[in-house]
Amino acid sequence: KRRRIATDGGVDIEDRLESLITRVGEKSTSSLESNLEGLAGVLEADIPNYKHKIMKILCECVVKLPEKLTVYTTLVGLLNAKNYNCGGEFVEMLVRNLKEALKTGEFENARMMVRFLSDLVNCHVLVAASLIQMYDSFVEVTLEDNIPQVRSDIYVYLVLSSLPWVGRELYEKKEKELDAVLSTIDNYLSKRQKIHLPALKAWSNDGPHPQEEYLDCLWAQIKNLRNSKWIEKQLIRPYLAFDSVLCDALQHTLPQIIPPSHNKSMTYPLPRVVFRLFDYTDVPQGTVLPGSHAIERYLIEEQLNRIIHTNNLERKECAAALLGYPAKNKIPLNYMIVEVMFGQLFELPRSPYIDLFYGATFIELCKLQPTSMPEVLAQASEMLFERIETMHSICIERFVMWFSYHLSNFQYRWSWDDWAECVEMDPNAPKSKFVREVLLKCLRFSYHQRVSESVPDSFAPLLPPEPNPVYRYEQEGAGSLPGTTHAHKLISSIKSKCTPDEAAILLKDLPNQYPNGQENENPAFNPLKIDVFFATLLHLGSKSISHSFAALAKFHPNLKSLAEFDDGKVCLLKVLYETWKNNQQMMVVLVDKLLRTEVVDCSSVANWLFSFEMQHDFTSFYVWEIMHSTIKKMSRHVDQLQHEVDEAHDKQEAVKRKEADGLDLGDEDVPSDEAIERMEEKLEAATSAQKNLFLVIFQRFMIVLTEHLARCESASVDYNTPWFKWVIERLQQVFLVHHELVYRYVSTLELLLFTSDIDIHILEVFQQFCALRS
Amino acid sequence: NRHEQEQKLLASSTLYIGNLSFYTSEGQIHELFGRAGDVKRIVMGLDKVKKTPCGFCFVEYYTRSDAEVAIRYINGTRLDDRIIRTDWDTGFKEGRQYGRG
Repeated sequence: KRRRIATDGGVDIEDRLESLITRVGEKSTSSLESNLEGLAGVLEADIPNYKHKIMKILCECVVKLPEKLTVYTTLVGLLNAKNYNCGGEFVEMLVRNLKEALKTGEFENARMMVRFLSDLVNCHVLVAASLIQMYDSFVEVTLEDNIPQVRSDIYVYLVLSSLPWVGRELYEKKEKELDAVLSTIDNYLSKRQKIHLPALKAWSNDGPHPQEEYLDCLWAQIKNLRNSKWIEKQLIRPYLAFDSVLCDALQHTLPQIIPPSHNKSMTYPLPRVVFRLFDYTDVPQGTVLPGSHAIERYLIEEQLNRIIHTNNLERKECAAALLGYPAKNKIPLNYMIVEVMFGQLFELPRSPYIDLFYGATFIELCKLQPTSMPEVLAQASEMLFERIETMHSICIERFVMWFSYHLSNFQYRWSWDDWAECVEMDPNAPKSKFVREVLLKCLRFSYHQRVSESVPDSFAPLLPPEPNPVYRYEQEGAGSLPGTTHAHKLISSIKSKCTPDEAAILLKDLPNQYPNGQENENPAFNPLKIDVFFATLLHLGSKSISHSFAALAKFHPNLKSLAEFDDGKVCLLKVLYETWKNNQQMMVVLVDKLLRTEVVDCSSVANWLFSFEMQHDFTSFYVWEIMHSTIKKMSRHVDQLQHEVDEAHDKQEAVKRKEADGLDLGDEDVPSDEAIERMEEKLEAATSAQKNLFLVIFQRFMIVLTEHLARCESASVDYNTPWFKWVIERLQQVFLVHHELVYRYVSTLELLLFTSDIDIHILEVFQQFCALRS
Repeated sequence: NRHEQEQKLLASSTLYIGNLSFYTSEGQIHELFGRAGDVKRIVMGLDKVKKTPCGFCFVEYYTRSDAEVAIRYINGTRLDDRIIRTDWDTGFKEGRQYGRG
């Protein structure tokens, strides 16, 4: 578009400059040094006419191409050597961007800018003392009172993560000042709270590898770097080749950069835990995996994470870029890729990208390196399985999702015999649960015969049942049930295409009983009617998902009236369970449909999942699949209504502005005050339903967990059973997966539910959650 | 008209899935495509004469962005041991489920 407006060749030149600058440092036939020298020459000639544009492009490269950071610092160094003002203006612009990023909370961009400024000291663009001054003002944040720890954390992180680049230079030129910065950091880190740590660890114990907090780990790595006199072997430093040119350049002094003061609306990045799966003994001889506290481990991991970030939308390019990592011959690259990928997949509270991305990219990696990658992945899977007992339930769930998906792409071939121990285990034991759940997911991807033929015969007890529906009114002995006659009449009416009204009339005279004949004293719902009608409907639609959907759609009015009140809704869901208990996918899909068509609501789904009838499935993964998809639907609904209200307000204001300017409004569609009010009422109702949903879920959790703890105490047995682990971690999952949402209600939760008199094991989960942002 | 067709494709949240096995069920398709986002409905492609599955289907998502995720990560991977293909579709209309007999 811009091209059309341009009257001279200016835009073409700007585009050419952008392409030249962004592509420097890519693979090329000539050396990086000569490319840089050439580019600096070209830019020098263009500076008089295109200075601003060139500066802007360079500043974009700082945040968008940080993998080439040292290439660009060298380029800026060369430009500064040729033209002192130009270097100054670049620094000025970058500092302005940095201040803006700190103010708006774009901390990842800020981190790249701080690192860039740091490396400019190496390129003789900036005076070392002025960089130290910036570091000083950043680490001083740790001395502020009444701020959340996540604020001081991020400022310390900005400094620490720049030191691998500039540590050596500062050590040579400003040793004492550097030491002072480091000692402030040391002091801070030794006093930090780490209540949040258990909530973020993929494994609860530290064997064989400690799962460290990100700042602790980086600090250990920096201390090692300091002990080796700040010499590292990972970074490419092109400016070293230009030392003779750069050392004559005049240097600039960084202006003062004071962190903007804390305000309540600022969101700081959440703390993280560094994921560790391998050490050097896991890797075949030939290459050496850097130790977990070697700075090289940090640098390579960060670069691999960066490659994933840049390429996450293109799985093939992502796999190719990972395998094309520049220093690949020196390190066991496949192992590091697998560790970094799993590190992201198991990251808590949430993975950076959708689960499917990791699965699809692993498949591409295996395709590109069919001789080595599958082997490393198999080794990793074995290790994950071996360590599953202490793995967080959320991570086990993601492991199940990935592993079943991977198997579905590789003919379900796996050395199952190695895992035969699970057959004998308690079904709630993590290893046994893992295998069962994987087979359930494989069943969804394929079919029963295929799954049972893929595993050894001895695995029969772990296999899911055939996923067929159950219909009591056609089973043996159905004759004696109170609803059978009606059910059979209903079948033939529906088959001869009766209307919803005709179907309702058919059931009219059924007494208010339970399907087993027991009286129901609650007039709000009729369990027998619900059972006869819904079970028959599901039975007739059981051929496929589409058939079921068609049946639900046609008889929607009947379902709505049968399940008008809460008890009826829960009763309806119990009928769904009775019908499809052997086919979890059908349950998941049909609950989704019932929610979307407003036959049931979110809190009735939660109440059903916590009900007595569901207790023996309570640790099954599908229960939690339904729970989280229900919470998600609720929150999407709230977001949608919020969006509509915001939009209506914006429209109204825009029109008022136009009116004030005397513009003719014509027939513009303006939302009236009444319309907005109605929308706001709807939003308010939805928000309170959402809050209620969380209250229901947490309250029910509290009840089941407290009961378990009390039962164990009175029987003097250990409370810490596999069941307890699954359930308490599922509670944690509700906090973590929906953390932004739950955080909105944190004060209500603290006041009503998570009070100081509840059991410490439950309270801890809440405290860890709160500590994530404190 | 071609322009309208293109506009429809750009706004669509429906995918055409090809190279399925004749035995692949809706449930299997749902499991795979459900991992990209919320699936609204699946329409199986049927043989015009025999009314049996004939190797293609339509998957409709609630949102365009979920359909994009599916194209991005599922196209060219396996379902039921076959490499399946995904393409944008203008949206399912009754009658389009019948393939060549």
